[in-house]
Amino acid sequence: MAEEPVVSSANDDEFKQGSEPGACRNSMLIATDSYEDIAQYLKADVCQSDVPNGKSTSVVGDADDASETSTPDQTVKCQNRVDPEETSVCSEQCTQYDRQEVSSDDSAVGDNSEETATTAVTETGQNSPKETLPDISCINRQLSSLSASDGSPHSVDTDQVCQPASSDVTEPSVTAEEYLSPELDYVHSAQWKNQDKHIFILSKAGKPIYCRYGDEDRLVTLFGVMQALVSFIQSSKDSIRYIVAGDHKFVFLVREHLILVAIAQTKESSTHLLLQLTYIYNQVLSILTLSQLGRIFNMLHNYDLRRLLSGTEKTFDNLLNVMNQDPSFFLCAVRCLPLETSVRDTVAQSIAQNAKVKDLVYAILITNHQLITLVRMKHYFLHPLDLHLIFNLVSATESFKAAESWTPICLPKFDSNGYLHAYISYLDESCDACLLLLTVDKDLFFTLSDCKRKIMEKLTKHHSLKAICESIRRGNYCISEAGIPELRHFLYKSRSTAQFTSPKFEVPYTAEEDRQRLFRLYQHLHYRIHCNSRPLKIMFTVGEYETLLGWVTSGFELYAVFGPLVTKPLAINSINKLLKWIKKEEDRLFILNSPTF
Amino acid sequence: MSNISVLKSFFQINITFIFQVMLIGDSGVGKTCLLVRFKDNAFLSGSFISTVGIDFRNKVVNVDGTKVKLQIWDTAGQERFRSITRAYYRDAEDYHSKHTDTCSIIKHSLPLAWLAEINEYAQDNVVIMLLGNKADMNSDRIVRREDGERLAREYNVAFMETSAKTGMNVELAFMAIARDLKSRKLRKANEPSFNVAEYVNQEKQRGGCCS
Repeated sequence: MAEEPVVSSANDDEFKQGSEPGACRNSMLIATDSYEDIAQYLKADVCQSDVPNGKSTSVVGDADDASETSTPDQTVKCQNRVDPEETSVCSEQCTQYDRQEVSSDDSAVGDNSEETATTAVTETGQNSPKETLPDISCINRQLSSLSASDGSPHSVDTDQVCQPASSDVTEPSVTAEEYLSPELDYVHSAQWKNQDKHIFILSKAGKPIYCRYGDEDRLVTLFGVMQALVSFIQSSKDSIRYIVAGDHKFVFLVREHLILVAIAQTKESSTHLLLQLTYIYNQVLSILTLSQLGRIFNMLHNYDLRRLLSGTEKTFDNLLNVMNQDPSFFLCAVRCLPLETSVRDTVAQSIAQNAKVKDLVYAILITNHQLITLVRMKHYFLHPLDLHLIFNLVSATESFKAAESWTPICLPKFDSNGYLHAYISYLDESCDACLLLLTVDKDLFFTLSDCKRKIMEKLTKHHSLKAICESIRRGNYCISEAGIPELRHFLYKSRSTAQFTSPKFEVPYTAEEDRQRLFRLYQHLHYRIHCNSRPLKIMFTVGEYETLLGWVTSGFELYAVFGPLVTKPLAINSINKLLKWIKKEEDRLFILNSPTF
Repeated sequence: MSNISVLKSFFQINITFIFQVMLIGDSGVGKTCLLVRFKDNAFLSGSFISTVGIDFRNKVVNVDGTKVKLQIWDTAGQERFRSITRAYYRDAEDYHSKHTDTCSIIKHSLPLAWLAEINEYAQDNVVIMLLGNKADMNSDRIVRREDGERLAREYNVAFMETSAKTGMNVELAFMAIARDLKSRKLRKANEPSFNVAEYVNQEKQRGGCCS
């Protein structure tokens, strides 16, 4: 235990000042935004918009995190995933945290043996027990009965759920028989309730906009309850953040015009769920822009936004599915397609030279949620959040494959109030690479179509196209290439470029459920390291199936997975080797320069 | 490389006219399917792929020995894209194909709205054709053929029933457009104008005899 600080500080020196693998040599390629920044941004935003006379941010943050670490939910996570007995947390600053950690775990285990109480956490950060908020606990019970995952008879569930709420919200035209008929009643079936993560979007007036499973129209009562919860807390000049009820977590993101709710039994932290809701909110903005949203709802409070969002359900579904398996979202980083530097440079140059068009802001070449190259206008950076929306748009829209397309897209981090116009075209039918040219001029389609033709000619001439196709076909690299036998998998994020790399999933993570488990472990590790109340630099945990090591410095974040029997010195040794390997391969794995037009 | 450029110049020399064709109509009426049927002679079955923004496809057709390139703009039917598609009405110099699904006519009574949009935003000399797609769905038909025809007469535009699934009348519809556009370009002031509606009727009858 005593040796870690030494090792880490030695490495801190070694990789300091931008010399860590993947650090950008030139100016930044993608705007940096660390996870903490985003967490801060989330909080600040919530506070700004919802608690006009609110408390200071720091109070909110501290109180929230304190309550979060002590929620029983977290202990459940510890028990299932990583045995608390074997968990040791190494922090440079203070080893006594270790003792605290263990003791808090113990006490929480005790809590957990009794039935867990419903905990609601609001913006001011006080845990609100039942006695202080009688009304809310009543609504909570309705919600939790809805999410109860038992196999009890169908009709009983329906009664419990529908009747209390239907008295005030549902239209009387829906008869009881309709609710009970099984084919119409997916939303009240056990299958629906057992879904891991539900996502709902509703307007401030409580009108349904989107739900992940089932038909919104049949869930109006539930949307009504959610709106009631939000406005109830708002009436006391506060804002609801999340509710924990047993295995379920209800996370709320309240924005100026929209309310987003996640109901999850995935044991993810509320921070991660909130981040996912933010991505979804950004997806809405990307379709409609903030100003349009404002205009609509200022004019008509009860506007049915589904009219404007029709046809985009697939985009949301796709985003949610990808967020559940791709670490790039919670890392707020972008994965690059491994490519030789010379090829990548040629591609970037071909694009930069042939797309010299006034008002062209970004030229982006991507494939399957990976960045191949990015050429940008001077002084404009592309934020990872925006890039993820672009990835999602392309992967969710089949029709781009067949024709050249021209569509407006709003990148909320770039400008949430205006559209960029995107020329979108796949390079070639045989190649899965998609070129996007984003401009502010809405009349440039034919110019850009011409640019694409020229770029294609250049790429074919230099055989870059073939190299790109080859790399896409080969897929991600194997962990064995790094030559570290005890290492199973890792995520490495370079913070200055907001890019990350990871090998492909191999044995024992080939099955879908194992991969999912590994993903949750990474999420857990990430959450523990970035937990605001007690941020860690190094975390080493031994679980039943694997050993995890997380290490965060000012330059990078590394999350590594070993077999369960690996010792601490061996693990540390391995990651030192790994860092050297990444440094050696950085030209191939990362985009280190940032070409401009 | 040289082969390609030779081929390209061959085409460029021979393409005499380039016309822009625009497909507009409600979401889900089959604009993209119709276009894919015309261009690739295939039918997009399975799940509904909604167009995002505007898709562009080209097809070169032969009209009486002249190569005519149709630049076809396949627009998204959703309301939120209305404003961008509108911007292109103005540019589409010659022709608008007006598509309306059999079901949407009654459900949203929209052909009127669409026709009004064309009148408001497009140039005066556009060619408009009203198409009723999904004509193969005989049992679930919502709009009767007579209603479509009556509407077309009212607004003085050509009307056809098509089916992207079976391919019925798809080729004919696009060819009629190409022919009309070409004749407008070539027509001298004193010649009588080409009448799409008449041509379509003629062709339809001829097709009827053969089948």
